[in-house]
Amino acid sequence: MAIGVLALVGTRWGLFTLWGDSNRRGWRVDGPLLDGWGVYHAIVDARDGSFYAAANHIVYGPTVQRSADGGRTWKRSKKIGLPAWSGLTVNAAWHIEPGLPQQPGTLYLGADPGLLFRSDDAGETWEPNRGILEHPTRDRWFPGRGGLCCDSIQLDPGDPQRMYVCITAAGTLRSDDGGQTWVPVNTNVAADYLPSPYPEIGQCVHKLLLHPARPERLWQQNHCGVYRSDNCGNSWERLDGNGLPSGFGFPIMIDPRDPDKAFVIPEKSHEYHYGPNDRLAVYRTRDAGQTWEEMSDGLPGPAWVTVLREASASDADSLYFGTQNGSFFALADGDTWVEAARNLPPVLSVEVTQWSR
Amino acid sequence: MVQVVVPSILAAQAEGRRRFDVEAETVGEALRALPVADLLLNERGEWSSNLHVYVDETDASERGGPACPLTGAREIRIVAALSGG
Repeated sequence: MAIGVLALVGTRWGLFTLWGDSNRRGWRVDGPLLDGWGVYHAIVDARDGSFYAAANHIVYGPTVQRSADGGRTWKRSKKIGLPAWSGLTVNAAWHIEPGLPQQPGTLYLGADPGLLFRSDDAGETWEPNRGILEHPTRDRWFPGRGGLCCDSIQLDPGDPQRMYVCITAAGTLRSDDGGQTWVPVNTNVAADYLPSPYPEIGQCVHKLLLHPARPERLWQQNHCGVYRSDNCGNSWERLDGNGLPSGFGFPIMIDPRDPDKAFVIPEKSHEYHYGPNDRLAVYRTRDAGQTWEEMSDGLPGPAWVTVLREASASDADSLYFGTQNGSFFALADGDTWVEAARNLPPVLSVEVTQWSR
Repeated sequence: MVQVVVPSILAAQAEGRRRFDVEAETVGEALRALPVADLLLNERGEWSSNLHVYVDETDASERGGPACPLTGAREIRIVAALSGG
């Protein structure tokens, strides 16, 4: 039996499936699925193999689509809506997170404007989380250029009551009671575009990840730096400035085997959305962010390339990311990047899973 | 009876069908009868400003939007404004 990698690559104009060999050098591209839809995020639910896609359209609005047959056919969720009293409408579906293994049929959806939904029927219907919808700090949240998006949802595998969401720009919020109530956890995280640079709320988190083997450890790529927390977000340590050419960027990746490793793709600044020194490069830390080293072997240069917050992924063996100019890269043989596909539509999201035949 | 014609992206969300015969007195009623109604109307029953709905030769937005009457109408054509560059 051959084992390979399946990458779900969401783009501005549909979802592509990229089938990689075990060495990540040979790839086949299929698609587009959900042709014409902007796929902000797509996953394979490891619990049953279903595909889910957060698919948005400028005219037809936000949807969640599910496929039980590997993308051949799709079923749309019932309308993702909000109660009239909220005065809000759902602008976009951003991020889909499967529930824990002991919660079959449960999924979470992050959406704009600053929304968390939960489904307990495998994505057929979605209910808004009232604790987020009615959060007392909501009047201090404000949208970034991508909207008031909820782009990160992380579940603690050791504590079913604990979860995190990130909203741009509200910051990180944590629940210790299964999503009933939420507290901001942004201590020491900068928001230097606000009058007070370290507010309780208003941080612009671009991506947050929890380490599955050490769930109290969180990593975030923020508008204002790269951070690590070792206490469930109660406090954060800023990690850029020690080998990292810029603190600004969108994606972050981790090594599921090693809590001290993380990977970012810096951009020049919030005003210039391409790599410092006109280069595309991934930076790696192996010591929990104390030092960073460049990983650019195989990447094109010079380059003026943007990688969005959902457009990277990692597994135990490799890293993967897609660019706004339609390339998809995978790390092969340790430290060498392979351009697995090019000329895709602008890449919005990447997730990977193993496949066998 | 009026026939509603939808664009290809909507047809793909309706098992490939592009034409639907519906009984309705207003445009909103006709759109709500479609299997893609959730993609055409928001929580308030409004359609996107990027969507054009024509009743025969008339722009429905100029005749009350969803309340536009269908008396004597033969066809509703839905057109998404997507161009740009």
